Amino acid sequence: MLPFSYATRNLFRSKTRLLQTIGGSTLVVLLVMAAVAINQGMNHVLSASGSPRNVILVGSGSEESVQRSEVPERAAGIAAASVPGVSEALGVRAVSGEIHYMNYLDFPGHVRTQALIRGVTPEALRVHPEVRLTEGHFPRAGEVMIGRLAWRKLDVPEDSLPIGSRLQLSDQELTVAGKFAAPGTVLESEVWATLGDIRVLAQRDTLSCVVLRLDDPADFPEADLFAKQRLDLELTAMRESDYYGRLSRFFGPLRAMIWITAGLIGAGAVLGGVNTLYAAFASRVREMATLQAIGFSRGTLLLSLIQESLLACLTGTLIASGIAMVFLDGRTVPFSIGAFTVEIDPGVALTGVVTGILLGLLGAIPPAIRCLKPALPTALRMS
Amino acid sequence: MSEWMIQCRGLSKSYRKGATVVTPLEALDLKVPKGEFLALMGPSGSGKTTLLNLLSGIDSPTQGSLVIAGQEIAELSRRQLTAWRARHVGYIFQLYHLVPVLTAFENVELPLLLSEMSKKERHDRVATALELVGLGDRIHHTPTELSGGQEQRVAIARAIVADPPLLVADEPTGDLDRDSATRILDLLRGLTRDYGKTIVMVTHDAKAAAAADRTLHLEKGQLLENPCADF
Repeated sequence: MLPFSYATRNLFRSKTRLLQTIGGSTLVVLLVMAAVAINQGMNHVLSASGSPRNVILVGSGSEESVQRSEVPERAAGIAAASVPGVSEALGVRAVSGEIHYMNYLDFPGHVRTQALIRGVTPEALRVHPEVRLTEGHFPRAGEVMIGRLAWRKLDVPEDSLPIGSRLQLSDQELTVAGKFAAPGTVLESEVWATLGDIRVLAQRDTLSCVVLRLDDPADFPEADLFAKQRLDLELTAMRESDYYGRLSRFFGPLRAMIWITAGLIGAGAVLGGVNTLYAAFASRVREMATLQAIGFSRGTLLLSLIQESLLACLTGTLIASGIAMVFLDGRTVPFSIGAFTVEIDPGVALTGVVTGILLGLLGAIPPAIRCLKPALPTALRMS
Repeated sequence: MSEWMIQCRGLSKSYRKGATVVTPLEALDLKVPKGEFLALMGPSGSGKTTLLNLLSGIDSPTQGSLVIAGQEIAELSRRQLTAWRARHVGYIFQLYHLVPVLTAFENVELPLLLSEMSKKERHDRVATALELVGLGDRIHHTPTELSGGQEQRVAIARAIVADPPLLVADEPTGDLDRDSATRILDLLRGLTRDYGKTIVMVTHDAKAAAAADRTLHLEKGQLLENPCADF
């Protein structure tokens, strides 16, 4: 075996080439880590947002968008009384009639941004138990409560919506009365107001949906049967988890675009890195031939060249991981129905390391083979 | 044991270059006794370096028999030749071919990394080899910090450190000034005289050839003299 120091010292033969290789691998690993973390974050938030115990009753034909759905107001009461298996506490059944309303909100400082406002009653907390008030109180008339990540979705500074601050919705001034968390779900980036206020502001006399919380997810057929039997209400029953699963598939092309963009930029960096290694190894054909003449096998020399490449690529991986931890971890990313937090968890870090190793291995092998391929007598005469 | 270090019979080497077949060496017979310092001379393209490459196991003949230190090497595979070179041959190049990122000590140590020697044993042998070539005080210098003559002496130390019976040298003084060349030739002579090494040296320089025990001339892939007739 050649000494490890041979590989490390070779790295510093050309500082420019070393920087190119490390820079290229940093870029590729960072892109892969970012793409994985973003996809993972989006998947997590969409899968965690839908509980298999919850059933959403929407207007028939509006299965793709709750916002467009129209459900008669009386459907909530009828469903609460008729659907078996609905969760119940202190004699109150977990049924929440809701209006999902998309409109512009005006913030102090003349900031105007589109937001999803959910009109709810306190029963909403029974069907969405992941929602926890962290500050203030549940909104009353003329008030709203704001999700922990709403600032990111609304594109306003994080501290711009304190309790008592005011915002405007369709000329109606609303006061921020509370703040809530719903970890890992899209609810965290929503604004909740009272059902009565939203009914008036949206000028509608129907609900967007009725959410039922079942004791057992296996009772879904009961809710489905109810929706099918009550033809007068024109309802369709969906598992909440299926609804968000469908949304997740809807965002499939977006995730594919993230991968394609990362792939294209990464491919450029990989080709640049391989080209750098070709140049670096090509200048050492005679040296490799000399080592073979001394008695080192091609396998040993290939291993040493791969060591060099791995060292550079793993240095790039380390830098990329550092950048990801400092600049990506904990960042919230908005998307059309909410926001999610990017997490550089052990899985993402492992993906980065595997990417770095693959880059080091696969990037080095073609130039190394080319460097070791010439016949010894020819290679020894190369300059 | 045979008294011959090298025995070639009908040794030929040819290769394709485009549509034509080039034969730099044809049906060559040669015997070199152990401990001889042999110089090979001849014009460019006469087959000197090809013969040197065959003798050192860097290349394989197309035809003929080649026995070195009692072993037929013409039939060895590439992998077997690599292992054989590590034990039997020390190669000295015209342009030294030292590894630039390694110190003189580390360059000389390279052939020993292929053996089972302990670190201390390696250290002692490298120190001895560098002392022998007069560079005991330059062990931590990298090739860029050495003169041409010093670099060639490091290369010689590298060639002898594993104690191979055969040394091959391709124009070892071709890139050196006269004083340095003389020192290198003295060193090579001493290796034959004091340590019984067999040396085959290719050179264009008649003065360098004069340092050898015997000089053979090659032309168009053939030896001008009949070397086997002497033995």
